[in-house]
Amino acid sequence: MTDARPLRGSHRRAARWRAAAFVVSLLVLAGPARGDPEKPELLRMRFFERGTQLLASTSLTKLFDSASYDQLDSGFPSTVVIRTWVYPKGEAEPISFQLIQRRVVYNLWDEIYTLELSDPSGTRTVKVKYKAEALKLLSSIDGLPVARLDKLPLLRHHVLAMVVELNPVSQETLAEVRRWLSNGSGGGLDRGGAFFGSFVSVFVNLKVPEADRVLRIRSQPFYRPEPKRQP
Amino acid sequence: MRTLAATLALLGLMAMGGPARADEPPPAPEHTIDTGAMAERGEFGPAITLEHIEIVGNHTTSRQVILRVLPFAIGDRMAAGDPRLRKARFKVLSLGFFRDVTMSMRRGSAHGQVVIIIGVEERGTVVLNRLWFGSSSIAPWWVGADLSERNLLGTGLSIGGGLVYASHDEVLGSRDQWAGEARLGIPSLCGGPWSLAFALAAVRGSEAYRKSGASSQSDAEHYLAFPYRRTTARASASYDITALARVSFGGRGELIDAELPVAPTRVLPDGRSVPVALHLEPGRSQVLSGFASYDRDSRADPLLPHSGSRLTIAAEVSGVFLGSSYDFASLVARYERWWPLRLPRHALGVRVSGGLILGDAPRFDWIHIADVNRMLAPRAQGLLVSTNAPLQALGTAPEKATEGELGGAASVEYVYRLFDRKHSRIYAGDLFVGAGLWGLADSAGVRTRDRALWDSLPIDLFLDAGLRIDTDIGVFELTVANTLGRVPR
Repeated sequence: MTDARPLRGSHRRAARWRAAAFVVSLLVLAGPARGDPEKPELLRMRFFERGTQLLASTSLTKLFDSASYDQLDSGFPSTVVIRTWVYPKGEAEPISFQLIQRRVVYNLWDEIYTLELSDPSGTRTVKVKYKAEALKLLSSIDGLPVARLDKLPLLRHHVLAMVVELNPVSQETLAEVRRWLSNGSGGGLDRGGAFFGSFVSVFVNLKVPEADRVLRIRSQPFYRPEPKRQP
Repeated sequence: MRTLAATLALLGLMAMGGPARADEPPPAPEHTIDTGAMAERGEFGPAITLEHIEIVGNHTTSRQVILRVLPFAIGDRMAAGDPRLRKARFKVLSLGFFRDVTMSMRRGSAHGQVVIIIGVEERGTVVLNRLWFGSSSIAPWWVGADLSERNLLGTGLSIGGGLVYASHDEVLGSRDQWAGEARLGIPSLCGGPWSLAFALAAVRGSEAYRKSGASSQSDAEHYLAFPYRRTTARASASYDITALARVSFGGRGELIDAELPVAPTRVLPDGRSVPVALHLEPGRSQVLSGFASYDRDSRADPLLPHSGSRLTIAAEVSGVFLGSSYDFASLVARYERWWPLRLPRHALGVRVSGGLILGDAPRFDWIHIADVNRMLAPRAQGLLVSTNAPLQALGTAPEKATEGELGGAASVEYVYRLFDRKHSRIYAGDLFVGAGLWGLADSAGVRTRDRALWDSLPIDLFLDAGLRIDTDIGVFELTVANTLGRVPR
């Protein structure tokens, strides 16, 4: 005959563990509050039509803080990548997209800035003497074609959204920086060996941002007025 | 079960209910453009020559350890706008030894020559890789930890080890168990793409096997145990094919001393008595094997992935021709892929894994049920610490194998980024819900079937949900499956 006492004890223990598991689950649910998303910033832009294109002008000097401004004459290249979308106000499907890249490097010996400016129309190289000039060329949007006019119905409100990145880092480089994390402890008997076989892995954990700085911008709503009729 | 279902439902609602951010740039097809890759292509600007590379701040790390990962060397001539100049910072960071790396440049001794100054800020390189703890009907408690030092005395060498202890309860023949492992790693041999790893492990265990009851009954009274010892040595060499892919090959030598019971049997619920195969040679036996593996990991963030994929394939062969007591071959593969969804904070992941053991493998090399069902506690450094029964959700085969020669799992996971703070010590947190199918069969189960197909399928469902948090002191995970695997049921 089996002694029932140890079994009753183990059932009580199991019940306690189940209760603990439930509490842990509740703690999971009560976890951290949702953080503030990086909301796009409203930036006033100027829009005008030329030929078949809608053009936009604005300034992105906020992209550079004092550290990144100082980096311009470090001798290392800096890159600005600008993506723009135009979409009807209140809708999620964009009607146009543009991708622009601007790069600069300072020649320590000749003391000049060489800029390479690329947009859908092509690439051009510019040399300037002063840092302020280089900054202006990197951060100004001056008559940039953002959409074809035939895609913009008259009198309908649209919005221009823009993501501007300073020195973005490729997905491959990001993966490489953190690759040592996924190499595991190596040589172990366990098949898995990944972090998540455990509740916790503790290490000094560096996270490289996807870019030195990122600006998320949206314009004020704009529309194409009806052409003025000739009397 | 009701608790689990309610938790999953709540987490699901929370995850799906993440608000769409109508005021942010819409996710056009171009959303997937890797702007960083664009920035890292092409060179421009005047030519420069690297006259010298200065390194400052490396109080313990050897200068050579840093120089060998740089994508350029002293004397190289390149364009001032060469992307390698920016990439060098990340190459140094990828060592994992530094909190921050800064790069600057000054004029050299002649026109066109420059000196690059690399400033490093060293950090602690001790890593707590794993913690083992829990309680089950066969081990009232088990506890253990695995630690590594990734930059031994600044040489770039890695040493580490782990120790697990598990107490025993009422299982006849069981005893307290422990397992220990010591490792040495030599990354980037002579500054090249080769690396070496060595490991020594010792296990003093007692392996529980079922003597009675249905597979849903995991009480200690249904088990017997036999004592064994294992001593294992491993050596492997790895070659980095690219920055993200590597192949490894090596060998294993293992001594097993097992005091096996004579003619072990199990009484089935219907009263029949059947023999139990323990898959070990009695007394002393040895495993001598060779293995090879391939690993490619393109996930930008291996801790909280939202994009990229990882593929791992490993094969091992052991045979009498190598001097082994066991003739077997194994092949295991694992693949996961992540897709960012149209809403920027959401991602979907698919994981598929499988293994096949051919021949007469020792039981420790069989696929364990916890290798494919994450709702159960896995072996801790080889020790069997739990015999919890799997969740029976699909009404498939009621008697499921706990070790098998053919096994695998496929799951889908939905991830929602709760928060993402670039300038905080808590970087990001992901809420996730997932479900999948697991299956495990031994050769007898594959060959014979005495009931309807569905009733005999050795597959079932697993579910998981929880929170993963990435912080500057490591990564933490709270999940339903992980919790369930560590408590007696």
